[in-house]
Parts: sequence; C-alpha cells; structure tokens
Amino acid sequence: MVAAKKHVPIVKKRGHKKFNRHQSDLYKCVPSSWRKPKGIDNRVRRRFKGQAAMPKIGYGSNKKTRHMTPSGHKAFLVQNTSDVELLLMHNRTFAAEIGHAVSSRKRVEILAKAKALGVKVTNPKGRVSTDA
Amino acid sequence: MSYPNLSADVFWECTRNRSSYMVKRGHGTSQTIFSKEPMNLKNIHSRKNSGLVNEKAIGVMPGTDRGVILITKTSNEKNGQKPIKLFQKTELKKHNRKVYGSIVNTTAKKYYRPDLRADAVARASAILHSQRKQKGSSSSA
Repeated sequence: MVAAKKHVPIVKKRGHKKFNRHQSDLYKCVPSSWRKPKGIDNRVRRRFKGQAAMPKIGYGSNKKTRHMTPSGHKAFLVQNTSDVELLLMHNRTFAAEIGHAVSSRKRVEILAKAKALGVKVTNPKGRVSTDA
Repeated sequence: MSYPNLSADVFWECTRNRSSYMVKRGHGTSQTIFSKEPMNLKNIHSRKNSGLVNEKAIGVMPGTDRGVILITKTSNEKNGQKPIKLFQKTELKKHNRKVYGSIVNTTAKKYYRPDLRADAVARASAILHSQRKQKGSSSSA
C-alpha cells in the first residue's frame, strides 16, 4: 500500500449537523431539505438569537483537502478487479472502496489485486474477516 | 480506431460524453472520470490520454506472465480497412531499466507522442512493481 501524496494539512471543521429547512420540524408538509428563507420578517433570515443556523461559505472545507480521508486519499467506489486497475497510476490520490453489495468471494479477489497494485482499500475487513 | 473521413477532434467530441470505457464516480466537485481504454496510460478520460481517439497513442499492458506489452498504433493510411493490424504489440521482458529504455527509444525518441514519455515509463514501472513477489504473503491487510 502506498502512502498518499503530500498535501496541505486537513483542517477538520467542527462537524455541523445537517441544515434543516426552517419550520420543517413544525409542519409535515414542509420537507427538511434546505431552502433559504426569503420572507421580510423571517427570524431565521435575520439571524436572531436561538434560531437555526443558515449554511454559508465558512462551513466549507479547503478545496485542496475536500473529500479527503484522514489518510490523504479520496475514496473511489470499486465493484470488481477491473475497477481497481483504474487506480494503478492513482494509488497516491485515490483509495478503493468496495461496494456494499459485493460478495466475499469477489472481495478477496479485489483485495489481492489492490495489494499487488499498491492500492489502499478503505473497507478491507467487510465480509472477509472470519471471526464470528 | 481511425477513419479516413473523421478527424480525431470530431471523434473526441462524439465520445467524450458517451463511451463505454468511461467510469464516472461522484458528482459536482467530487466527480472523477476515469477511462478503461486499454491504450490509456493514466486511465484518465481526456483528449490527450485517450488511446482510442488519437491517431498516435501508446499503451502499456502487463505481459502474459511477466514484463510488459508495449502497444503503438500504425498509420491508418496503411491499415485503414484492417483495424486489427492497427496495433503493434511488442512484449518487453528484459530488466526493468532496459524496458523503460526500449519504450522511450521506440516512441518518444522517434517523435512518436513525446508528450507521453513520462507517463509510459511510469506505467511500465508501476506494472513491473506489481509483478514483484510480495513480501510476507499473509492473507489480507
């Protein structure tokens, strides 16, 4: 397994909970997916104390380290060995992530291939470890 | 492949958004597009790296038991009607550094895609590295 490429340190911002749409907790007919409040008197829009926080650019993470795992790789979903081969020249930027529905027999094949190509696997233990 | 009446640029515009070789993962800023083309050295779906679209391209594949296979394309004036003869395959089984040398000598030093020189050598190196016997052959990491 190859270590990740050198990169600027990953700054993990304090994880914010999901931004839910204003009053989605009060009414069944208001879904939780975020909509910016636009009303003239709206207290969330006017950022009153105790109101729900609105998403803003400051919550974003550094573009250079976005989607990075702590190891410095980005996860790449893999379903078979030919998907792992795609990462041959990218094993310092991408790590393979085996799809959840892949059988244990194919997982063993994928793991062997990944090991030969020096590709990191983010979930190597799933369905493979035998301890009951 | 290559068609006498179709330029590589038109070919690329046709295949860039729909191709069975394309592998898309993620969306928005996290989207990555790879390519499963056999002659794509970096497996990146792009005009430069595409082995299908470019009239000249270099492919490096693992050899049958060890070593690498170098693939280049012949000119389509000669083989326009015979796509199977379009690809010239050479198996390289020598020492690693000789393999890199012969890749460079047959391609970049003959002004055949000199822009892919480093990528071709890097891919050959990665393939040869993966063929090495692995230390401590315990089951899985």
